[in-house]
Amino acid sequence: MSRSLKKGPYIDIKLEKKVMSNIDSGKKTVVKTWSRASMISPEFVGQTIAVHNGNKFIPVYITENMVGHKLGEFAPTRLFRGHAGKKNKGNK
Amino acid sequence: MHNFADYYFLGKIFKPNGYRGKVNAWLDVDDPSEYESLQMVFLALNGTLVPYFIDSIHILNNKAVIRFQDFDSIEKAEQVNNAEMYLPLADLPKLSGNKFYFHEIIGFVVLDKTRGELGEIRQIFDYPNQAVMQVFYEGKEVLIPINPNVILHLDREKKEILVDAPEGLIDLYLS
Repeated sequence: MSRSLKKGPYIDIKLEKKVMSNIDSGKKTVVKTWSRASMISPEFVGQTIAVHNGNKFIPVYITENMVGHKLGEFAPTRLFRGHAGKKNKGNK
Repeated sequence: MHNFADYYFLGKIFKPNGYRGKVNAWLDVDDPSEYESLQMVFLALNGTLVPYFIDSIHILNNKAVIRFQDFDSIEKAEQVNNAEMYLPLADLPKLSGNKFYFHEIIGFVVLDKTRGELGEIRQIFDYPNQAVMQVFYEGKEVLIPINPNVILHLDREKKEILVDAPEGLIDLYLS
């Protein structure tokens, strides 16, 4: 069952407070969190959040297409190194 | 004998398609449309890479329907079922500017805008929606997101990458 719309998205209060203070001060300090269930809100875009995967913190640079997803989706708990031939989406 | 280190993983055949020897394959690439005119792939069979020539290939999203040369029955298609497909690294088009292949930057030295040299890239972790590079700085593992806003410059000749690590990221791993 999906979450009631009445409640709004779940975002850990401490995490939200830290991100908001970052935004208010214009800083982009990394915020660390264990709250993998928190939803990424549009205000988070451009921030880097270190999400714990049970072992270590994975830095997640929040982009627009991550909005609406949960933080845990971007910090897998199992190791996958990827394959050769993959390329980054550089800016040039 | 082909060395797997000189090849990259293209995808995997996951089932036969129809009764006339075609196979369905999943492609693990950034842009599958670049492979619409593929003429040959190497299949990993019994620990070795065997070249197979392609008669026709039809790509839809990250899946492909492939007919290999001389494959005319489902029995032949089943022989290569679950085989991994590889292509030579040398065939990849050269990238320029700040674009790079993940395998290409392993061993490059990471220079931070504020801290200076951090260390060599040991591995790349391809996480969903973003990848991170693993560097060991002062004996501790540091993960740096691979993002156009973080990577400032890539010098292929010097094998260096200049990054602007987000404030507090490196301290997070050192503490």
